[in-house]
Amino acid sequence: MTRWMLPTFLAVGAIATLVLIVGPALYAVSLSFYHMTSLTSEPVFVGLAKYADVLSRAEFWNALVNGIVYAGVSIVLQVVLGIGFALILHQPFRGRALVRGLAFLPYLLPTVIAVLTFKWMVDGSLGIVTILMDDLGLPPIYWFETESAAMWSVILISVWLWTPFVTTTFLAALQTVPSQLYEAARVDGAGPVRRFFHVTLPVLRPILTVIILLRGVWMFNKFDVIWLTTGGGPIGATEHLPILSYRTAFALFDIGAGAAIATISFLFLSLAVFLYFRAFPMEDDA
Amino acid sequence: MTTGSTGRRSPFASAAIYLAAAAIALYSAFPIYWMISSSLRPTQEMLTAPSLVPSRLTLQYYYSLLAQTDYPQQFLNSLVVALATVAITMVLSVMIAYGVTRQRIRGKKAIVAGMLYAYMFPPLLLAIPLYTMFALVGLNDTLLSLVISHLTMTMPLGVWFLWGFFKAMPFELEEAAMVDGCTRLGAFLRVVLPLSVPGLVTVAIFAFLLSWTDYTFALVMIGSDANKTVPLGLASMIGAFDLRWGDIMAGSTLIALPLFAAFVMLSRYFVQGLTAGAVKG
Repeated sequence: MTRWMLPTFLAVGAIATLVLIVGPALYAVSLSFYHMTSLTSEPVFVGLAKYADVLSRAEFWNALVNGIVYAGVSIVLQVVLGIGFALILHQPFRGRALVRGLAFLPYLLPTVIAVLTFKWMVDGSLGIVTILMDDLGLPPIYWFETESAAMWSVILISVWLWTPFVTTTFLAALQTVPSQLYEAARVDGAGPVRRFFHVTLPVLRPILTVIILLRGVWMFNKFDVIWLTTGGGPIGATEHLPILSYRTAFALFDIGAGAAIATISFLFLSLAVFLYFRAFPMEDDA
Repeated sequence: MTTGSTGRRSPFASAAIYLAAAAIALYSAFPIYWMISSSLRPTQEMLTAPSLVPSRLTLQYYYSLLAQTDYPQQFLNSLVVALATVAITMVLSVMIAYGVTRQRIRGKKAIVAGMLYAYMFPPLLLAIPLYTMFALVGLNDTLLSLVISHLTMTMPLGVWFLWGFFKAMPFELEEAAMVDGCTRLGAFLRVVLPLSVPGLVTVAIFAFLLSWTDYTFALVMIGSDANKTVPLGLASMIGAFDLRWGDIMAGSTLIALPLFAAFVMLSRYFVQGLTAGAVKG
């Protein structure tokens, strides 16, 4: 028993990794080489035809650009807001624990609920936001119906949902900055802004690099916010690669092309992560 | 602004901080307040311009939701899927993480690297092949298919987090127990696991959170009304002919409450999990 315990654990691990992660990923890639009109039909090998087809479509490039805009803008806003929130919640004030707790809450909400609540708040006739804006004499916003507003709406919901991740991780990191550094900077006459840029940011740069990487990867892959609000519309204005992949595989029943889009999307992300590591090398403390 | 240790703050700076804190609280909590308060309003208030505070509270939407819709069944489905996902995640990730940290063997890094890579998979890169595989073996549209899909998110998280946890735990502890006559398994069960409880709690919480809040995999895997989970059920209410906002907000509140309650009781594990970078979301 003693001799076999660890090998057994590792065997379970290898099998689970193969079945749950490596297997499906390889299967997805292999599906992208076949044409299937339905799940029950015989798959026909078509080589790289699905890739050629996907890459020649304008909607693919539109989706790629939309995905970069969606992920890019929402990461920048999450990081800026999250750091700002963390700096304030790091100050001592009465009721701080409560505000810290409240600032975390959006992260716990299922995306569906955040979307539904947002839709209810901006409901065309009875939404609280609509009514308040009307009272203030502001023109109505068509949150999901116009091309420019739709992208900002999905970004707004995403930023609200995932800023707490940045706030919480950055706040925890702030508590590790040695206070002597601040004292020294203060003795040298550095004001709060200079202390932030010359003490806080350099010390927390490694953790910030990781935060931006993780959020970037997840925002690029995020499917549900856009699917539940605009479904990619209007006229493709918010359609990004996850939506295009889903629509191709499950609405147009072209499993091969859907898998090809997911594969390209993953390759693109891998390349982006590789370049990110080159630009911002991380010391290996793992 | 950048230090937490200043005792000499001007009244102006103090006021600015309280103002900023109030803004953060309002921004983060108002939509949640609005969800909960909408679920408790009388109907006539929902159909006119609503006041910020309901004039009186009523549970009518909760009654209609529980009595007239599939919500109870969906809630049960969500619970079954989440609990099964948590249980399997715990067993698998403990075994894998412990094996990887304690056994000297070539190629074990590949398991950890594979888990890390899984973080980057677009959801559809897993959902499409899983859906196809489930259809081939006749598992499509079952709760089991959803549990297996959720494991692709939760297992990497569990292994990654516990890997860091076990690595930091000194091997001498187990050695001492084995010198005292424990078997390897005995040392693992009596020494390592009890010391790992904080890590296990964190993994359980986040596995539950991921499974409980998932919409994407449920959308792909589940087709029939009988097997829908709450996120899927609520999302399909919005496409319905008449928008029953009161019912929708009641359903949203009910599924958020267990998470809020868990957060109030276990907040330090949530923070720990996030800061370990263990969490996908």
